[in-house]
Amino acid sequence: MRTWLYDGSFEGFLTALSLALERPEDCAIARQDGAEAGLFSEFLSAGRDPARAAAVRKVIETRGSAESWQHARYAFLSESPGAETAILKYVSLLLEKGRAAYNMLADDRVRAVHGLAAKVGGEAHRFMGFVRFSELADKTLYSRIEPDHNILPLLTGHFRARLGAFNWVIHDARRNLAALYFKGRLVYAPLDAASLREDAKESEVRKLWKHFFKTAAIKERLNPELQRQNVPLKYRKNLTEFTE
Amino acid sequence: MDLQEKLEILADSAKYDASCASSGSSRGGQGTGAAHQSGVCHSWTADGRCVSLLKILMTNECVYDCAYCVNRRTNDSPKAILTPDEIAGLTFEFYKRNYIEGLFLSSGIIVSPDRTMELMLEAVRKLRKTFHFNGYVHLKVIPGADQALIDQAGLWADRVSVNIELPSDKSLRLLAPGKTKDTVLRPMNRLAQQIAAHKDERRSIKTSPAYAPAGQSTQLIIGATPETDREIIKLSEALYGKMALKRVYYSAFVPVMKDSRLPALREPPLLREHRLYQADWLLRFYGFTADELLDEAHPQLDLAFDPKTIWALNNLDKFPLEVNKAPYEEILRVPGIGVTSAKRILRARRAGPLKLEDLKKLGVVMKRAVYFVTAGGKYGGLKKESGDAIKLKLLEHKNPNGQLNLFGGEQAAKEGAEAAATGQL
Repeated sequence: MRTWLYDGSFEGFLTALSLALERPEDCAIARQDGAEAGLFSEFLSAGRDPARAAAVRKVIETRGSAESWQHARYAFLSESPGAETAILKYVSLLLEKGRAAYNMLADDRVRAVHGLAAKVGGEAHRFMGFVRFSELADKTLYSRIEPDHNILPLLTGHFRARLGAFNWVIHDARRNLAALYFKGRLVYAPLDAASLREDAKESEVRKLWKHFFKTAAIKERLNPELQRQNVPLKYRKNLTEFTE
Repeated sequence: MDLQEKLEILADSAKYDASCASSGSSRGGQGTGAAHQSGVCHSWTADGRCVSLLKILMTNECVYDCAYCVNRRTNDSPKAILTPDEIAGLTFEFYKRNYIEGLFLSSGIIVSPDRTMELMLEAVRKLRKTFHFNGYVHLKVIPGADQALIDQAGLWADRVSVNIELPSDKSLRLLAPGKTKDTVLRPMNRLAQQIAAHKDERRSIKTSPAYAPAGQSTQLIIGATPETDREIIKLSEALYGKMALKRVYYSAFVPVMKDSRLPALREPPLLREHRLYQADWLLRFYGFTADELLDEAHPQLDLAFDPKTIWALNNLDKFPLEVNKAPYEEILRVPGIGVTSAKRILRARRAGPLKLEDLKKLGVVMKRAVYFVTAGGKYGGLKKESGDAIKLKLLEHKNPNGQLNLFGGEQAAKEGAEAAATGQL
């Protein structure tokens, strides 16, 4: 048994994937900072090889489809334990069966990756709604989020299309990674939010929104259980309308 | 009166409109904002309903005196009006912070239908032209307004709607003096024609303007008047067919106003509303007709079971269905199989024959579907097919404690949440 270790980046993972695919039946993939030493496993460092990464992407897209590539990428962003090895098994099935694997929806190897991808896609869609911006003193829009999965890269295109006229920041506080959109350019960087100052008018707008939100509920139809299913408690601390 | 007070009054008066959709449009371009084809929910209020638009009235003043309506002339609650500038500004500030997808603007009738429509159009025009706003706008069209004004609505808005409110002319005359079926249907008809004509034009001239790209919807109030579910679903079927409506919303009557002409309901008929939505879904996505779901002898939807299960139990001769062979349209009719799982079945069976245990993996709700399908000839349901026996089994699943709670709101809420989460029946 071999475990290929990678540095946490997507490119590093794809390098490890490419190496592991040479002997998929007795390989695993894990992050170098998270792998537990196994008695019967040999640990190897995959490094980062852009050419290998590009090649493995091409293989997934041609043996499978653009959809297969998206499933693999989303599953990786889930950051769930075992996601890397699940993707390895999925891609190795694609290599073995080609197009036929595309329809094997009841196969556990396909379901594992599709399931992870669905979670990530679902959370990303949810956050298209759950991102809450505050206007800072310099008119930049700032939002703090704490999603389960690493969905930040899946949100930026959406907000670029609608808030392209503004400067904005979406800060994943859980991973301390921020997408900074400034004068039409997008960069990812860690961020210290402690020094940010809100615009003086911000609390007024927030108050208006909270009043609107409270008023919009019909008291004869109260259904907090349904509300909890749609807005899980874990997300509420960053949602303006649920905070004091 | 400050902006906050006005907002509270006008949001409070607008909240009984059930529509929350922000889907069906992909507007975008220079400026701020874009619409998302599948719509985005931004929050959910304490009643579990989605918030995606700033849903407000321009004013809650009204010249009409409709018995069911919280804004009726004779209700002496506080009145407010927002100017076009205030509406546009508020929408923009909320949108910028990603609180909302856009604006849903409705209104009571102030001065005249024409004047009301003019002011509403002014607010949306300002949003589009001054703020360069490309987010979603749902604009209510005021019955009785001039045709030229009605025609403009679709040029500025993504979705337009005229509420029918009461499902028959008789009920309208009784509860909404000043309104008839005709005054409501005329603008609706006009909008349908405009939408169709613009669509045609855009096919040949790509640069011609979009007209209400997210289509037209309406709302019916449920339980304020004696119409049967059959009458309601037949009406919806006609609206989807003849008027090409995108959505019909059903709003359980909330008895906020006291009036001798209104029924004395203790609480809104939520379970009935839920069943109507299920039946509506069956019309739009599952290929059912109203006559298949309800007939003269059974004009009301069953409260204990969803309408698809009832249909299947009444048509046991068509089951069980072999999932490896049956066409898509028939698979869709199996209780426990929704659009997503039906599509998955079709894809998965191309890769090889499906077994019963595969169905669960494809997202089929087997506790319901098991009585209606075979896989490779294998059947996991009851030995002797009988509608009553299946009914009893299904009820066991619903109420594991053996208690029957046919009219409780709890079941409706639970099922409602499931349906909302999956869209499956």
